[in-house]
Amino acid sequence: MITRSTAAGYAARARHRRPPPRGKRDIALNKRSLFLFCGPFAALFVAMYVAPIVYAAVSSLYVVKRSGLGLAPPTRTFEPFSNFAHAFGDKDFVAALERVALFAVVQVPLMLLLALGLALLIDARSARGKGFFRLAAFMPYAIPGVSAALIWSFMYSPDSSPLNGLLEPAGISIPFFDDDVVLWSVANIVTWSWTGYNMIVIYAALQAIPREVLEAAKMDGASALRIAWSIKVPAVRSALVLTAVFSIIGSAQLFNEPAVLQPISSGAVSSAFTPIMSAQAAVTAGNYPYAAAQSVVLAAVVGLLSFVFFKLTRRGEPR
Amino acid sequence: MKKACCRVAGAVGTAVLVLAGCSAGSGTDHADGPVTITFWGWAGGYADAVKAFDKAHPDIKVDYQEVLPGAKGGYQKMLNAVQADNAPCLAQVGYESLPSFAAQGALQDVARYANADKGDFQPAAWRSVTLGDAVYGAPVDTGPMAMFYNKKVFASLGLKPATTWAEYKAQAKKIHASKPGRYISSPYLNYDYAGLAWQAGAGWFATEGDAWKVTMGSRANKKVADYWQGLADDGLIGKAPMYDQSWYTGLGNGNIATVIGAVWQAGVIKGGAKDGAGDWAVAPLPQWKPGENRVGNAGGSATAVLKGCKSPEAAWEFAHWLSTDKKAYGGLVTKAALYPAATELLSLPQLNRGDPYFGGQNIYKVFAEAAPKVGTGWSWGPVMTKTVADLDDGLGKAWAGKGGTIGDALRTAQEKTLAEMKSQGLKTSQ
Repeated sequence: MITRSTAAGYAARARHRRPPPRGKRDIALNKRSLFLFCGPFAALFVAMYVAPIVYAAVSSLYVVKRSGLGLAPPTRTFEPFSNFAHAFGDKDFVAALERVALFAVVQVPLMLLLALGLALLIDARSARGKGFFRLAAFMPYAIPGVSAALIWSFMYSPDSSPLNGLLEPAGISIPFFDDDVVLWSVANIVTWSWTGYNMIVIYAALQAIPREVLEAAKMDGASALRIAWSIKVPAVRSALVLTAVFSIIGSAQLFNEPAVLQPISSGAVSSAFTPIMSAQAAVTAGNYPYAAAQSVVLAAVVGLLSFVFFKLTRRGEPR
Repeated sequence: MKKACCRVAGAVGTAVLVLAGCSAGSGTDHADGPVTITFWGWAGGYADAVKAFDKAHPDIKVDYQEVLPGAKGGYQKMLNAVQADNAPCLAQVGYESLPSFAAQGALQDVARYANADKGDFQPAAWRSVTLGDAVYGAPVDTGPMAMFYNKKVFASLGLKPATTWAEYKAQAKKIHASKPGRYISSPYLNYDYAGLAWQAGAGWFATEGDAWKVTMGSRANKKVADYWQGLADDGLIGKAPMYDQSWYTGLGNGNIATVIGAVWQAGVIKGGAKDGAGDWAVAPLPQWKPGENRVGNAGGSATAVLKGCKSPEAAWEFAHWLSTDKKAYGGLVTKAALYPAATELLSLPQLNRGDPYFGGQNIYKVFAEAAPKVGTGWSWGPVMTKTVADLDDGLGKAWAGKGGTIGDALRTAQEKTLAEMKSQGLKTSQ
């Protein structure tokens, strides 16, 4: 613990110590250490992140061409707009984009409200067993996405769903794989997996609120609800924006859950259910450039959405 | 904030680097010492066969790596590896996918080494690995079809295996009437469904000169589709998806009474539904017209030589050995119920004895009688993975009664296949 006075003392001493005059050699040394420290990161970043993106973007400008029966290896020709025109005219791909958009509009606010509520409850003064609830809510996040989807695919099984087994005496049977329901069956898995994660982020932000402020509000006679609404929620605003952007990106990249449910969904989860599944379908058809074009479109849409969302939520924020 | 980002990115980068170090290349070494050949496959028993080969052939070392079954990701992995120029020399590829692999330029012609061994294989199987003059691998097994049925359930209802599809439908009603959760069969998708069409001579693809013709919506296909749609509409087909745990449970407890499937299905049923031991038996396929004897084929695969293989001659030597070595193939029969494509192996002792799982019946006798009657003239298309993915989207709904019929599913798959082929510049006559 550094008290205020010692911190000030350090600063004062640092000011007194004059930096030695810099020679050319020092600058060269500095440059070298700059490369030494940043080089590995930069190299990996370029090789593993920038290069694949550039590669995908470039290959999306080409078109696979075969001829006749197509038993000879295909050739690639440069037609920069073909794949993109194809993508926007592709009913399945457009439907997939709309589907994840609907998913994001419904599931993200619901999940974040749930996460915020849980975080506020655990943060409340009167809460008991905080550690337990924090861990319990966070636990699903520790289960890898595919495993979680497999567990849920068992719960949803059209033939032997234990959930429907429990509901049977009440005469209820949930049609998890009906066309209008299946997206929400997926949303349920995603919510289950990610609420705890978002809750932890929000909870951490709640911890950063100065206790004096809360104390003062209490002295002024504010109820716990009032404190939550007027002090805590505005204070965690930036955490909410962050989790929202992550969740929007996550929705756009939806893949694991629907892909795992597909084989037992009786066709409700089609092979182009989400944009990434659609790109994957293009890959299986041997049309890599078209898959790249779909990915580029998806990335552009998500980038734009995140940008707009940031702009909108920044408005009116104190600088 | 920024610093934290960089730190995370750095850590991820390092992890990727470490992982990259683990992935094995498929380098071949000609200089001195044995030639190493990498082989990707998934059939049970391949690993043991490779061990036996390595022992007997000190000059060739085969590095067997198990991958996911083709349709479950194995093929994608192979095609991606070819794209990235680090594919294995050899890969297990189903006959249905060979034309698609060829269309992507993923295969290597080994006719030079292979043509001398042509006579070792059944003509239909050999046809499956050749396109024009090119030979792309060694046929390993074929998939003649028959009807697997639960003898115990059939006996309890006084039924004998149906000889016609009309009789099969009548039995479906009786079986479902005997118990609400009991059905004659589960729904069939992709290549399992293709086998049903194959038996009826309802081809999906044909070539006319240098143009493709897609015939999934043909009248012959409609007949098969309407028949099965009728069963589904009457609620006589169960819900358990094939190869799902609920399917194995149903096979074990008698709630699924028959499986129309290829010979290798014996291995699947035996391995997945241990509770059904002793209950199951095999009978010839029901026929469309009484007195006919037509058989479909489902599956069967080749050991294909992938593009970029640096030792194709050694690759062929192993592929040929795997398909024809008596001792090794005996193991494949026991472990994976593979049915040999090589003529001489049909006399293997493993193919001529009773199996306790099937009540002591020598099931291979049924398949041996069926194999020569498999309809010829069936062709697979050039974008098969896409075709079956589109088909399954429709079939799943049709079987579940959630919109559309099996016939609609076939027609939609045909349209989408044609659209995909045209967009890639393939010639079609439609």
